Amino acid sequence: MTASPFDRLRLRLAEVNDLGKAATLLFWDQRVMMPPGGGAARAEALATVSRLTQERFIDGEIGRLLDELRSIEESSDYDSFEASLIRVTRRAYEKAMRVPPELVGELRRAAALGLAAWGRAKEQSDFAQLRPHLEALLELRQRYIACFDPPDEPYDVLLDDYEPHMKTAEVREIFDQLKEELRRLIDEIGEAGGVDDSFLTGEFEPAKQRELSHEILRAFGYSDDEWRLDETAHPFMTSPGAGDIRLTTNYRPDDLASLFATMHEFGHGVYEWGLDRAFARTPLATGVSLGVHESQSRTWENLVGRSRSFWRWFYPRVQAVFEPQLGSVDEEAFYRAVNKVQPSLIRIDADEVTYNLHIILRFELEQDLIEGRLAVKDLPEAWNAGMERYFRLDVPDDARGVLQDMHWAAGSFGYFPTYALGNVMSVQIWERALEDLGDLDERFEQGEFGDLRDWLHKHLYSLGAKFTPQETIERVAGSRIDAKPYVRYLREKLAPQVA
Amino acid sequence: MTVAVDSPPLERLKAILAELADLRHAESIADWDSRVSMPPEGAQARADVLATLTRITHERFVSDEVGELLDALEVLDDETDAALVRVTRREWERARRVPSDLAAELSHAAGVAVAAWDKAKAASDFASFSPHLERQLELKQRYIACFPETDTPYDVLLDEYEEGTTTAEVQQIFARLKEELVPLIARATESTELTGPFAVEQQQRANRLVLEAFGYDPTKWRIDETPHPFAAKPGLDDIRLTTHTDAGELTSLFSTMHEFGHGVYEFDVDARLARTPLASGTSSAIHESQSRLWENLVGRSRGFWRWFYPQLQPLFPDALGSIDEDAFVRSISAIRPGLIRGDADEATYGLHIILRFELEQELLAGSVAIRDLPEIWNARMKEYLGVDVPDDAHGVLQDMHWSIGLFGYFPTYQLGNVISVQIWERARAELGDLEEQFARGEFSQLREWLREQIYKHGSIYPPRELLQRVTGSALDPEPYLEYLRTKFA
Repeated sequence: MTASPFDRLRLRLAEVNDLGKAATLLFWDQRVMMPPGGGAARAEALATVSRLTQERFIDGEIGRLLDELRSIEESSDYDSFEASLIRVTRRAYEKAMRVPPELVGELRRAAALGLAAWGRAKEQSDFAQLRPHLEALLELRQRYIACFDPPDEPYDVLLDDYEPHMKTAEVREIFDQLKEELRRLIDEIGEAGGVDDSFLTGEFEPAKQRELSHEILRAFGYSDDEWRLDETAHPFMTSPGAGDIRLTTNYRPDDLASLFATMHEFGHGVYEWGLDRAFARTPLATGVSLGVHESQSRTWENLVGRSRSFWRWFYPRVQAVFEPQLGSVDEEAFYRAVNKVQPSLIRIDADEVTYNLHIILRFELEQDLIEGRLAVKDLPEAWNAGMERYFRLDVPDDARGVLQDMHWAAGSFGYFPTYALGNVMSVQIWERALEDLGDLDERFEQGEFGDLRDWLHKHLYSLGAKFTPQETIERVAGSRIDAKPYVRYLREKLAPQVA
Repeated sequence: MTVAVDSPPLERLKAILAELADLRHAESIADWDSRVSMPPEGAQARADVLATLTRITHERFVSDEVGELLDALEVLDDETDAALVRVTRREWERARRVPSDLAAELSHAAGVAVAAWDKAKAASDFASFSPHLERQLELKQRYIACFPETDTPYDVLLDEYEEGTTTAEVQQIFARLKEELVPLIARATESTELTGPFAVEQQQRANRLVLEAFGYDPTKWRIDETPHPFAAKPGLDDIRLTTHTDAGELTSLFSTMHEFGHGVYEFDVDARLARTPLASGTSSAIHESQSRLWENLVGRSRGFWRWFYPQLQPLFPDALGSIDEDAFVRSISAIRPGLIRGDADEATYGLHIILRFELEQELLAGSVAIRDLPEIWNARMKEYLGVDVPDDAHGVLQDMHWSIGLFGYFPTYQLGNVISVQIWERARAELGDLEEQFARGEFSQLREWLREQIYKHGSIYPPRELLQRVTGSALDPEPYLEYLRTKFA
């Protein structure tokens, strides 16, 4: 073999990437296409493919190549493709080396089975069906944590998979700040009296919602050649390869939440879509962290999709399509309704403010579970108590409580905080984009989103995972992660509701 | 999951085979998705994924470890275990001959070429496809060269799909068929042409009604639309059919029944064979015998239509309102020489296959050049079927097979027709008048008999042995010819 060590590394990584993409597709298929009977066989296939991916990644060859490439990494410009690829691979390799492939496979299988059980448990609002799966997953997660050097807090290990280099203590500090500011804001709004959003509940024919979703997506930059949009109970985005971006949304017949879910998933999708194609089949070809990913979904869902100027463009369309429901509702009223702040049971339906408290509740419960302070059997009760504490709400059943989200059933503990971190970062990036682009309102009012997309593409999406999340956010926004701009944004936007 | 090295060899072999089955599961989804749901720009990345999966599957399979385990498992009492070792050894010995890189190249080229074929067919542009075809042929030649002991290169390809059948045998059977089919087609008589439109949604409703009567379970099956219908089983209890529904013609129902035949064979394989090489149908021709059985012997039978026509007719009041059951059945059973293999009637179908079988051999032998292929195709269509090919989309570009490297596959379609009647005759001898049951919408007795006789065994028996066990005879074109003579008398 005459290929250079760097080329050999790329070849190896391409293979690992391909296996990862195969697993991605199996996962997408399971949720969008697979007949339910296929669940058991799919769990096995996912377990095997994940285990083989891990085996291939840590089988020694990559380690040897990384050693050989140390001098190239040191002599190359930090920002270069070569140095970045070696650096990013090294970190991933050093982490992966510690985890036996069997454990990776077991986690994947347990996750697939957990998800299948979650679907049934949620449908029947029966936590007991999910409980053994959660217990097994937590046990596997403990084994996973034990693979690493003792961290400051066990939760650090889990968090690092989703938000590399971030520590639990940092998250806690940001969340404490958010908690205080947001609870005050919620109280102020609560005292000021309600916004009328009754017209957002009614009959909204799914076929028409689908049409509207596609219209928004096309204006944002979606094309049939590279994207698809399907329907699932729980919306998500995944990309099984370059040029192949898949979104899902959920058209509920009695509200318009699908439009926001669609814009949210578009934000995830456009990040993956905008990755530098030269990174294809390398570990750089992905969003840098879940938090930064979420900053983009929230940008498109909230900063764009709940803005005044967006609705100046699109409300006439929505109003025309749903004339009987919205004919007498003016644009201002609609805008205020889709921004109404009100404590509610379901995270994904929550407004921009209360959303974060849903996350903080999950963040706290996860730590309690991982640290052994809370048993799985007591989780529903702890959940309901938390909902009472944060929102003064009674949870009527587990389907609308502890069973509402799929994450834990898939073994994804440590994932939730990235949602709120995404909210925080979204505004940091947004403010920077506005500095460069000037006021975007006029463009949004015309249905033009290309300038924003191109700016984000150039400054963020194209970077992929070259840098750490912190480096990335500093390069894009010019500052470290900081909750202040986000809180300021919420206060300004919601001032009318407070007043 | 992972089996310790000191476990018994059979257990270790099964663990490896299960892992390979899982990788094929992933391959099957990657392939199905590329044909049903992938956005077109995803093709390049998908080709990479498929190539990697193929290479890794191949590498793991051809390892010395598998050979050593097979050697340690020479004598086994259990029939299923013995079959597992036999089938694995056969596949292993074949696979050992082929370098993993070539296996990956074949897979990669297929991914790229099928996308090119799609575009070429849409634009009826053979020139844009011909470099891909050339590449496929070159790879096939390299593949054949891995088996230097063969006198007949085509045997190498055929053996992959139809264990135990040689090119010479196929030539002999096809010569016999040609001898009878050409005069039979010449006797084609007039019948009512069904002219649409047949609304797509209504056709899909009809498909569902029939599938449900056949035993389709929506929690374990699905059906989608693709330009070229197929069936896939990624894993146990996950059966995927596709059909092609066009408002201009009423063919979707037949392709649905056809794919059902493939699907039900896979679905009814004994669950204990899951994640082993025995978990699928034993050969392409036996598979095709089942798709043709459900499509033609059931789906074009008098009994079937006595039950279903009263349900179909009201779905299309404009198109079918004035056509009675008898005229309808005659129409769907008429001999109509046409351009498209997939739409061909039972009599002309064989000639479409014979044409492809001949061309494949000539391409491999180099006696036909790729650039001349469209012209030769068109000339033979005229000669065998008396039809003029207006463009390559309706000619040489109509089938995807060559784009994905399936050379040697077409003959199994016609062998399937032949076998379907052999099996059908046996079923009728044992079960009595099936048409009476069909007329009541009952198909379970036939399905159960087929499950017991064929489906549940998966690949435990090699195709020719299975045929012998079920019908008591060897591969024989005469029952099929007799069936056609009677039907088209």
